[in-house]
Amino acid sequence: MTQDELLSKIQSKFPKLEKAPVQVKDYLTLRLASQEELLPTASWLKGNGFDYLDMLTAVDYLGPVDMKGYIRQPNFNPFLPEGAAPQAESAPVAGYAYRPVLELVWAFVSMKDKARVFLKLEVPRDAARAPSLSGLFKSADWQEREVFDLFGVVYDGHPNLTKILTPDFLQGHPLRKDYVHIKDRYDE
Amino acid sequence: MGMVLEKLPGITKGMPGGDLILTTADALIDLGRKQSLWPMTFGLACCAIEMMGSYAARFDFDRFGVIPRASPRQADVMIVAGTVCKKMAEPILEIYHQMPEPRFVISMGSCANCGGPYYDSYSVLKGVDRIVPVDVYIAGCPPRPEALQYAFVKLQEKVAKMSLKNGLATPQQEKGSRDAAA
Repeated sequence: MTQDELLSKIQSKFPKLEKAPVQVKDYLTLRLASQEELLPTASWLKGNGFDYLDMLTAVDYLGPVDMKGYIRQPNFNPFLPEGAAPQAESAPVAGYAYRPVLELVWAFVSMKDKARVFLKLEVPRDAARAPSLSGLFKSADWQEREVFDLFGVVYDGHPNLTKILTPDFLQGHPLRKDYVHIKDRYDE
Repeated sequence: MGMVLEKLPGITKGMPGGDLILTTADALIDLGRKQSLWPMTFGLACCAIEMMGSYAARFDFDRFGVIPRASPRQADVMIVAGTVCKKMAEPILEIYHQMPEPRFVISMGSCANCGGPYYDSYSVLKGVDRIVPVDVYIAGCPPRPEALQYAFVKLQEKVAKMSLKNGLATPQQEKGSRDAAA
């Protein structure tokens, strides 16, 4: 099955799905219009050969960041006192799609067809929620906990949505672009 | 042995020539201690690969009497080989407290010394000496096996200066801050 055949097959079932503006490599990448479409799409994919959830993750598109994705610190010298005059301009790079959203990504693999489909869903940063896939795929369980821990995305319907990587005393979600570390007992 | 170590200084105090017995016993006990420094087997990051290399045939730590032990109860030395995450800080402290005295700590590599390349990380402890007292620091990222062996030679020199008169402390520890409360 070629990519176009697969796309038309999915779109005949889910007409709201469309190709995402940015593709993941050369795989078929689809953009979900809303959260409600995720569960039907995922269960349809599971029933049509894509029965392996490769990975799920999130991307923070908050600017200003440089082209590598790191926050451009106005003060990159850590030995300066706090509140020192900025040594570099912090302005968004032209042509980079900054927006205050978290983009959630799912990758489904069909072992039979040797094909891979990516689903993308944009959620607002301050109310990041999505339905959990852990009922369909067991492998989503820990990965959703990881995204919850590092990005603060709440997965509705997850059986045990707790921290998985960071220690209990760490506050905030470290992989968010606006994360500011609050000193804990090991920082003095 | 523990009774000898505890009672001997008190017994010989009043005896004529008691100091001579103590110094002779010191030489014997320190000889035994420094020739059998048994490290606790655990590694945290890439430094552990160099540590394993030191144990293996090419560098052969056995000739120093350094034999890795799988239990903290049997270990004298803790080699902190690698990056200490804040989540790992408490297990390390637990291992340290499970080791019998006298116990020593070797901080191996830049990460364990001061955080190294993770000096501004949110999840890394900036130096293992924030939670346990360190006897020998090794610089390097990671240090070569020769450097780890040199650290053990330095630790042996330190152990050789220990005296029953000072309890279990080496001269440096006695005036330093280590184990001040104990």
